[in-house]
Amino acid sequence: MKRLILLLLLVQPGYTPAAEILSPVPGRVMAPDFNLPDTEGKMHQLSDYRGKTVIINFWTTWCPPCREEIPSMNRAWQSLQNEDVIILAINMGEDEDTIFVFSADYPADFPLLLDRDGEVIAEWPVKGLPTTYVVAPDGSIAYRAIGGREWDAPAFLEIIRGLRVNQAASEN
Amino acid sequence: MTISARLTVMLLLSVFSPASISAAVDQSINDENGLRGWHFRTDNIEIELIQRLPDQTRAMLMKHRFSPAVIEQLAQSCMFQTIIRNVSDADSGHVVTIDQSQWRIHHNGREQGIMLKESLLESWGVDDADDAARLVVRWGMFPTRQEYLASDYNWGLTAFGLPPGTGFDLDVSWGVGDVQHSGKIPGIVCAPDVDTLK
Repeated sequence: MKRLILLLLLVQPGYTPAAEILSPVPGRVMAPDFNLPDTEGKMHQLSDYRGKTVIINFWTTWCPPCREEIPSMNRAWQSLQNEDVIILAINMGEDEDTIFVFSADYPADFPLLLDRDGEVIAEWPVKGLPTTYVVAPDGSIAYRAIGGREWDAPAFLEIIRGLRVNQAASEN
Repeated sequence: MTISARLTVMLLLSVFSPASISAAVDQSINDENGLRGWHFRTDNIEIELIQRLPDQTRAMLMKHRFSPAVIEQLAQSCMFQTIIRNVSDADSGHVVTIDQSQWRIHHNGREQGIMLKESLLESWGVDDADDAARLVVRWGMFPTRQEYLASDYNWGLTAFGLPPGTGFDLDVSWGVGDVQHSGKIPGIVCAPDVDTLK
């Protein structure tokens, strides 16, 4: 019986590992602007990052797939932070103390922003957590991912770097 | 999650839908905590329902400002951890849509809908849950309607509104593009409460 089950799982048609995919956003609408503090009190306004690629991740500490993707997101940050790429992880509804305790187990070197009352997430087309958007240097939403991903997968890094290259090409 | 054994038989079910497809349903038991899970799969969608003990829900809600009555209401509402994934081929372009308000529970010859978070939030007064607590429900419970591109998945809590330990069948439905499909997950059982655990 175990072999049968394994076989059925293996032949499941159409299955592609989620780690390989970012979904392009049709229409490339402009990303809603926000101005939020990070856990150290520094304010981050999305429009100030125009000209850079911005990865915006909505998360909470009590969301298992959110926790799972933080290590790979941190590795991606290590790879991309000197390439005009910003990662902003917007926590929904929790306070600094909760995130501080959480960060001991899940360290993140990129800014963790606080959307305490959920006003910013309400402006974005988010239905569940985690949801991540990739904002192109021109301020439009280029890609989205609903559910966790392996953010340091080579295919992802290639897509992210490609946005910057495309922007540079369009400016020349 | 560590699953020790896939239980019972793998059921290959015909799905009563406009497009002729089949679904596989199987069950599992987590050998670490004894919680049971039901897994439903087709070419386009995977639905996973995992029992959640009423005490797990109580523990989660007691960290926030809910009234005792609301905590008990949700703890005894047959809560399941729910994961839905679009498993279509990445190149297919298939968009899966879910509307949980269309799902139907069959229990003791009766049919009913599931408990939707919108109804719950509307039913509570200011003393039942503060704004931060409401955010936990708004984002912790599964979205009623959602669109999934290939490889998108979401997780959240679904409340079926039945007493702990109750068995039921669930009719699920989903859309792939403009085509609606439906299927059945039989023999689901709500997790028991602490007073019925042996």
